[in-house]
Amino acid sequence: MSQVNANSIYDASGGQSAKLYGVSMRNGGTAYVNRIINGDMRIDQRNAGASITPIDGQYSVDRWRCGFTAASKFSAQQNAGAVTPPAGFTNYLGITSLSAYSVGVSDGFDVDQQIEGFNAADLGWGTASAQTVTLSFWVRSSLTGTFGGALMNSGYNRRYVFSYTINSANTWEQKTITVSGDTSGTWLTNNGVGIRVIMAFAAGTNNQASPGSWGSAFAIAPTGSVSVVGTSGATFYITGVQLEAGSVASPFERRDYGRELMMAQRYYYRVTNNATAYTTFAIGRAYSSTEGNATVYMPVPMRASPTIGKSAFGGTNWDYSISAINIVQVASDFRLITVYSAGSFTNGGAYALAAGNTTSTIFLDFSAEL
Amino acid sequence: MIYKQVKGFRGNAETCIEKIQEDGITFSIPFDPANTDYQEYLKWVEAGNTPLPADE
Repeated sequence: MSQVNANSIYDASGGQSAKLYGVSMRNGGTAYVNRIINGDMRIDQRNAGASITPIDGQYSVDRWRCGFTAASKFSAQQNAGAVTPPAGFTNYLGITSLSAYSVGVSDGFDVDQQIEGFNAADLGWGTASAQTVTLSFWVRSSLTGTFGGALMNSGYNRRYVFSYTINSANTWEQKTITVSGDTSGTWLTNNGVGIRVIMAFAAGTNNQASPGSWGSAFAIAPTGSVSVVGTSGATFYITGVQLEAGSVASPFERRDYGRELMMAQRYYYRVTNNATAYTTFAIGRAYSSTEGNATVYMPVPMRASPTIGKSAFGGTNWDYSISAINIVQVASDFRLITVYSAGSFTNGGAYALAAGNTTSTIFLDFSAEL
Repeated sequence: MIYKQVKGFRGNAETCIEKIQEDGITFSIPFDPANTDYQEYLKWVEAGNTPLPADE
């Protein structure tokens, strides 16, 4: 029996089409290499490809959150600008600057993904056996120069600022960052925030730090990094984001769409009214003319009891003149909700919690984001 | 944005707080310490704010 130790095996031309036959995978297999969900930006339940000028903390494509200190300086959109994605990808997350904003010393602009502690626990961060990870992604900007981001813990008091260079404007470039795991600090291993992956596109000097080492002072970007929001119309696009254990960036892990959607729905699930039919969101039982309950089943158990978001009441948007929907009872895989109507229920009868017209802005959503 | 208390279903204890946006979209936030919206609400209360009372 012999053993081969190698970081990478390539085909004869140096490409990534080499095949291995008769191989038994290592313990744990190779499933779930990428700790990032929706790293290829395929899933956009909230916005369905529409552009948003986000409020702080608002999500663009699934699992990717926009953060900033000054409002209305950029828009975010799946496939913004309609450029051709890198080979093998169909989607990207695009940031577009809406003005020429002079970044203040305490400003910060980024998109991030918060990896649940359960999905990062095996990395052992915060212990002596912390594992090395590698972050890889495709990036494209209308600007060139130094860009970066950070890996950060839930308490915002451990962070690793990384740096990369965009060499050519308006050209997709793949970047790889290898980070030795943090042996200090508190890194959650439960359903809280495990690792925050921050992709910065502007930061004031108070939020910048020298890249390449762990520190405790808050920072999201490397010293001297480019400000995308400083140039009106400037763009910053990313896709193919992968965070994996080890010191080598493997090819982007291709997960089937259904699985990726279910992984995203652990954190957010939306039902939007059908544009040609009145969508029924749930079936319920009335306990009076004004009060009933209904059960909504989740596609997958969610991370925590979700917040239920509801489009505006009034007019004909909701059948039975429904005036409120609230939570009665929560469980891991369904939500029993109470529904109030303006006297349109029949006591003891069944009713449909349904849209009253075909307006596409009628929705229910369930959020258990980190 | 305002927070408003919600009566419990059929006379039972309340189980959520409601957040109301200016655009009419409302959010029912469960009393789950792991829910980030509930964490934000608790910070809002700690800052000395009080939600509107529930409808009678």
